[in-house]
Amino acid sequence: MNQGAMESELQAHVPEMSVEEVELLVSQRQTASDSTVTGQLSPIATTRPPPSPSGDEPVFAADGGTLSHPADAVYELELHMREQSRHTGSADPDSVVVHNFVADVWRLIAENLERMAPPQARIAFDLLRQFRIDGQDYLSPDFWRGIGMLLAYQLKEQTEFIRRRLRGEYQTDPYGMDREVIEIVRPFLLFMYRTWWRIRAEGVEHVPGDGRALLVSNHSGVLPWDGAMIATAVYEEHPSARIVRNLFLHWFSTLPIIAPTLASMGQVPAIPENAVRLLEDDELVCVFPEGIKGIGKLFRDRYRLARFGRGGFVQTALRTGAPLQPVAVVGAEEIYPLLGNAEPIARLFGLPFFPITPFFPWFGVLGVIPLPTRWSITFCPPIPTTEYGPEAADDPLTVFMLTEQVRGVIQQTIDAKLQERTSIF
Amino acid sequence: MTTMLVYGIDHLFAAAVARWLSVHTTGRLIGLGERMPGAPTGRAEILTATLNGQQLVELLRATQVQVVLQPVFMGEETPVTSRELACQQNVLRTMELLGACAVAGVRRVILRSSTLVYGASYRQPAFINEQQPLADRYRHGLLRDYIEVDSFSREFARKHPQLGLLLLRCASFVGGGIASPLTRYLARPYPPTLLGFDPRIQVLHPDDAAQAFGLAAMSTATGSFNLAATAPVKLAHAIRLAGRQPMPFFEPLFNVIWPGAGHDHYSHWPFEPDFFRYGCVADIRRAESELSWTAEYSTEAVLRALTSTQSDHAEARSINPLEAFLSRRSAP
Repeated sequence: MNQGAMESELQAHVPEMSVEEVELLVSQRQTASDSTVTGQLSPIATTRPPPSPSGDEPVFAADGGTLSHPADAVYELELHMREQSRHTGSADPDSVVVHNFVADVWRLIAENLERMAPPQARIAFDLLRQFRIDGQDYLSPDFWRGIGMLLAYQLKEQTEFIRRRLRGEYQTDPYGMDREVIEIVRPFLLFMYRTWWRIRAEGVEHVPGDGRALLVSNHSGVLPWDGAMIATAVYEEHPSARIVRNLFLHWFSTLPIIAPTLASMGQVPAIPENAVRLLEDDELVCVFPEGIKGIGKLFRDRYRLARFGRGGFVQTALRTGAPLQPVAVVGAEEIYPLLGNAEPIARLFGLPFFPITPFFPWFGVLGVIPLPTRWSITFCPPIPTTEYGPEAADDPLTVFMLTEQVRGVIQQTIDAKLQERTSIF
Repeated sequence: MTTMLVYGIDHLFAAAVARWLSVHTTGRLIGLGERMPGAPTGRAEILTATLNGQQLVELLRATQVQVVLQPVFMGEETPVTSRELACQQNVLRTMELLGACAVAGVRRVILRSSTLVYGASYRQPAFINEQQPLADRYRHGLLRDYIEVDSFSREFARKHPQLGLLLLRCASFVGGGIASPLTRYLARPYPPTLLGFDPRIQVLHPDDAAQAFGLAAMSTATGSFNLAATAPVKLAHAIRLAGRQPMPFFEPLFNVIWPGAGHDHYSHWPFEPDFFRYGCVADIRRAESELSWTAEYSTEAVLRALTSTQSDHAEARSINPLEAFLSRRSAP
């Protein structure tokens, strides 16, 4: 969607809004529309009434008739909430957080509504409206009948889905990626992306819309959340919603449950042959050259890049002519502040390392909940490799030069982002 | 005019190879087997005899055979009655055949191997090409036979470069009325799997394999080639496509439940428990480019076809013990 066209359209409809407000609206609408399945701009932006200055009771249009899909009305709510947070923002910083959180919840609901069939979404929307407009409806049997119908419908959908899976009527790609599993996990990842870590992705436009590319990122945070978030950033923010094939340490393939889940989500063991083959198939591959040294970095060593392996990722890129694209993730170092590594325990269980954080292992499973730090993911401009030719892959000088170049770009970007950052939360 | 000899013609798959060659080649075609073949063999001249090495040389010389195909592996399409006999057939007979071919001046030998020879490990690439070393940790049963034949014959080919040896590493057969270990596994009401693991597997339709043997006989390429249907699927998916449901077992229990974990390393696909944990998926691009071979049957189609022929499998299950009984009776 052309931003300029949308802006003028908006201004035509809401002339009383300031330019600043329009820009805000445009940016919000864009993120919202990017996340829809169809990717189309829903009519909300044009039919949206001007924000009421009082900002109290706008929201569910009583008839809902002017809106094409009930989800749009919920997006209205989200926008309204963001407006409110903007108005009260300077006066009361705490309420901004609350407002933004509520806005995120509305967005989550809206996105779920979008996934439903229109009649189903209509029922759910009506229920929501009842719920909101008059709490007394709890007592009405019709309210509960409605909820019952909704649940029955959902249940039917779900059982049909499971039946279809049990009949084997689904597709996986040659590496075992299963789009349906990705769709199941996506809302959770989106929640982590938008609400938990409030990630700001910059430079997503540097990621090519098609064709091969090798993303190279710093690695941190004990569990490989950064890989999942890079994939989410590209899938949600990039116009062509590409799937990032993360390369994970092949040791993870030995873990039950985790191994098939990773494979279903399109991730591939980090073996050079796999990377070459994926790039030859024009996939978008993401690699973490620091590997275990990066992910098991102690808290005091945070944001200091470890050695970038032996430059194997550069060889892969040179062999396939794929551009190298440095990615800098800031914020993931603090999600599990790693105080120490209990090596004897790690050796006992055959783990690469055993993390000791302020919360793990003391709080058990609860210690696995990551801290809600604020992240930024910066996609740097790609470094082309075709000029060196595939034979340069066997020339250690070129390989090390490129490795250092990529490492330097990532370190600089991290340093710049750390300067900008005011708080880790 | 080349003369070709198909070894083990009394086996179903060898007959399929002979049929393909009958249609696509014009030279003389000889089928050598121990019994009369039970399936049509095209225009092959059938010779039923049990020949030792010297007699083989005489036959090859007298008929001026230029191409020898050995598409048979005991334990694959035929049930194994005795492990000793299977090893004898698979390893020693193949060594004998190779020796005879070298002495008689045969120009091309096409042998069968399996994609399982690479072994299943988490260090394997997602698509294993022909240069990968073979697994050396399987010391029992069919897999050991395959690995021995594979490594011995490649060593032999290095010493006899005039032989033109070609190894076709086939994925597990499914379809074509052949009861392979994999179809027997998929015919169980609840095929056991390992809880928490879902490796990718490959299958191959025997007709596609027969075509590859034929193309290999006509080509000039040498070396090893992987053969499999395109697009591997996950094991649980494969079981569901075949109309069954997987039954995942926790690992310690699995070693008790799965019969292959015991002594029988011949009949229970995939012969070693490793293959339930990690996939062993072969890269078939070499066969496609150098033999100009393409699998006509997709993995999904092959497995789906099993659902409709489950009754055939019931029949196959009842025939297998009968065959085993009869061959025990006829063995000396």
